[in-house]
Amino acid sequence: MINRIAVAVAFVVGIFMVAQYFISSEISGRLYNLLLDYYQIIFAVTMIVGGISLVRYHGAQIRRDADSRVYSIVTILAVAFMVVSASIAGTGPTSPYQWAFNNLQAPMQATTFSLLAFFVASAAYRGFRVRSTPALVLALAAVIVLVGRSAFGDMISDKLPELAGWVLNNPSATAKRGILVGIGLGSVATALRVILGIERSYL
Amino acid sequence: MPAASRFSARHIVFLVVLAAVTLPLIFNLSLTHTVTPETQQVYANIDSLAAGELLLLSFDFEASSLPEVRPLAMALIRHAFSRDLKIMGMSLFAEGTALGEQTIRQVAKEYNKQYGVDWVYLGFRPQRESAILSLGESVSAEFPRDYFGTPTTGMPIFAAADSYAQIATVISIADGDMPSYWIEYAVSPHAVNLQAAVTASMATSFYPYLQSHQLKGLLAGLKGAAEYENLIERKGGGARGLYALSVSQFVIVLVIIAGNVVERVRRRRN
Repeated sequence: MINRIAVAVAFVVGIFMVAQYFISSEISGRLYNLLLDYYQIIFAVTMIVGGISLVRYHGAQIRRDADSRVYSIVTILAVAFMVVSASIAGTGPTSPYQWAFNNLQAPMQATTFSLLAFFVASAAYRGFRVRSTPALVLALAAVIVLVGRSAFGDMISDKLPELAGWVLNNPSATAKRGILVGIGLGSVATALRVILGIERSYL
Repeated sequence: MPAASRFSARHIVFLVVLAAVTLPLIFNLSLTHTVTPETQQVYANIDSLAAGELLLLSFDFEASSLPEVRPLAMALIRHAFSRDLKIMGMSLFAEGTALGEQTIRQVAKEYNKQYGVDWVYLGFRPQRESAILSLGESVSAEFPRDYFGTPTTGMPIFAAADSYAQIATVISIADGDMPSYWIEYAVSPHAVNLQAAVTASMATSFYPYLQSHQLKGLLAGLKGAAEYENLIERKGGGARGLYALSVSQFVIVLVIIAGNVVERVRRRRN
């Protein structure tokens, strides 16, 4: 019964959101804004569910897994600190929450992300092997874009940046456009399946 | 290849990349570079706006990409404030919220811009789709209070604009695919004049939108930031980062060539 109600709600809301795009009336506008508000409220509730799930998972890890216990303790303490400090002192520029974000979270994330440069270089050394014609084309395109879009491109030849631009604007954009059209059609098909109650995996 | 030699080759690559990234920063290497048409387009779009017109900057990135995205944001804000444009800042990423505020505040100080009159920071909104759509109805209704909890309705900056219709251009400063959400939920229903400033790795995703004019301009990565700094004649993090990036990109090309040479030699020996 509950599933049927959920499918009915999805159908009515889905049809309305499609229809309101073509209707310009005050009532549909108000209803549309109300639904957008509910959308954000539901998202806020899912954050609570996510928080509970995270604490439960790491609580279980602390009990079960001695090797990764310390990481789970740090995770829970970090979450608790951010939530409690934000609740007590707010999230303003001088708050402890902001201090932790600026001095701990941001540098740690930037450091982790910067390691990517080393892994990309290592992967390029081991993985970019020219063993076939398509691999040669791929490697050439990569070299043209890498050099053409760096400051060295202009030093080598003023045609190189142009060539890199051509690669990005033509073969690359063409392939990307095809993918985007495919994604768009897939999204419409999935939305229709959800609205019509054929796709019920979200239940 | 034996495990030991593979290990050492990988570590040589790591050391070379470390040198390629750090040495240009230490020795402040200076290289000249041309401006791409995409960057020129963003500059021309902002330069064509009249003083007092409003920009909506959305800081849609995480802390991990701050070194690449911040120079883009700084250059854009400097250009906007030098042209006496007004800025509304916001974020659709929780992490980008504080970073966006800090960036605008820093540049606003340089240009003596007044909060609430010349710029405002609205803060974070979850659920990107509904947030973008709601801004089309009313910015002050979506953000009744700013980032600091001050009511937005009385602010002078809101007297000039309260929805997309009065906003001259929206710029999504992003490290992911957030500009595509702006295209779907702001450009398509509200015909917003949208531009994007993104990390270099995401730039290729937006060329089709640029060609279809759904995106009016695209700034990409540190190269885009350095080009923009050239155009506004104010060097910053983009130029510094570009030199390190250019050397490391060149090194990666050499590494690709070296990998293939080693592979060929090994095949011949076998």
